[in-house]
Amino acid sequence: MSGKACTSGAVTQAQRAVEQLRLEAATERIKISKAATELMLYCQENHRRDPLLSGVPASANPFKDKKTCVLL
Amino acid sequence: MANEGLRDNETLSSLKNESETLKSKLEEERAKLHDVELHQVADRVDALGQFVMKTRRTLKGHGNKVLCMDWCKDKRRLVSSSQDGKVIVWDAFTTNKEHAVTMPCTWVMACAYAPSGCAIACGGLDNKCSVYPLTFDKNENMAAKKKSVAMHTNYLSACSFTNSDMQILTASGDGTCALWDVESGQLLQSFHGHAADVLCLDLAPSETGNTFVSGGCDKKAMVWDLRSGQCIQSFETHDSDINSVRYYPSGDAFASASDDATVSTSICLPILTLLLFMCSPYTVGRLLFTGYNDYTINVWDVLKGTRVSILFGHENRVSTLRVSPDGTAFCSGSWDHTLRVRGFLMYVNIGLLRGIPVTYRGIRPYMGIVGPIPNDSDSGFRIYFRSSVNLFPLEK
Repeated sequence: MSGKACTSGAVTQAQRAVEQLRLEAATERIKISKAATELMLYCQENHRRDPLLSGVPASANPFKDKKTCVLL
Repeated sequence: MANEGLRDNETLSSLKNESETLKSKLEEERAKLHDVELHQVADRVDALGQFVMKTRRTLKGHGNKVLCMDWCKDKRRLVSSSQDGKVIVWDAFTTNKEHAVTMPCTWVMACAYAPSGCAIACGGLDNKCSVYPLTFDKNENMAAKKKSVAMHTNYLSACSFTNSDMQILTASGDGTCALWDVESGQLLQSFHGHAADVLCLDLAPSETGNTFVSGGCDKKAMVWDLRSGQCIQSFETHDSDINSVRYYPSGDAFASASDDATVSTSICLPILTLLLFMCSPYTVGRLLFTGYNDYTINVWDVLKGTRVSILFGHENRVSTLRVSPDGTAFCSGSWDHTLRVRGFLMYVNIGLLRGIPVTYRGIRPYMGIVGPIPNDSDSGFRIYFRSSVNLFPLEK
């Protein structure tokens, strides 16, 4: 008996893994400096549109309490 | 024959060798492109000031741990599911429970609101994802209209409608994700590749294409093409189960959070890396919200890689977290049986308060708050925020 203990299951799995890796290796990539710059620009462009950062006027805030503000 | 299925020149060992070679080639390439860190690129960007968020509503009603929640597109309603087997639809403005369904199983680990607002989907230990149309007819029994859509061979961990009420994407403990047609219950596409339970998924923002990302117990985050079922990219940077993944609003990146106590923001398709954090993230552009086992929620500045805030209030582990569709509020669900909706109160920049004590006196007291703010000795006042309401100004 030869020492080959390959089952067809292990073979197909290995084939799939290699095909997947070949696909991923072929993907185009860009440098982090470029990707990070794009991310940063996106943040800056959207800063004003982000209610958590730029705030909403109290009148437009649907979650504010109904009490009036008490000035000390 | 032992050699069936192999092509010429292939043996199991040659395939494994090629696998290893390709893997190290990938690592090399990624390392070469990793020329800078995100926070270095964002060095000149202004830091965010201190950040306060008040708990606006506490939703009580679940009898056990809240496991999942999702907002409705109307920014007002949300659905939550719990270990007690109940799924509840709430009006977050009034805290009213609008609908409640008892599932045939406990541990309802996933729930989602349909884009139209007319249905919800949920599932868990029943290995299925079911869709319930929402009706306002008081005589109608919601459970009677239930539609079983997805069938997995293990628990349902996550579900999400795609752009319409017609299709639903599921992730399961059986290691697969699947896309289903709601009306017919037909399996449209299945996604195989994870080597263990898939714990989470998130669809890419609709404008950026047909992909989604999934995270699993095999420590991998994988990006998939919805139509072909093909895995486009996989990332193996965590040391433990990936509990949550979220796409960045631009669609160019995603964040993954893991039990290994880190969250990394991966710029997918292009490359990998960036920052480090934890549990259940959601990004709102600049901010990343993460929920933890120690009952807190941390808010991070994505660009700077720094923590902006810690939010307290929950009395047990934070299990789920989502920002509302328009970004004005976010909701967290916890093992303490409640959901908390936190909203924007006021953006307090310590720098701006300098010399303006009048404005400062107008701040209202609030709860469930933030970490320490550095003592600003120049302007002569110190602000303490405590979890039990009052604001204690100490002015010279």
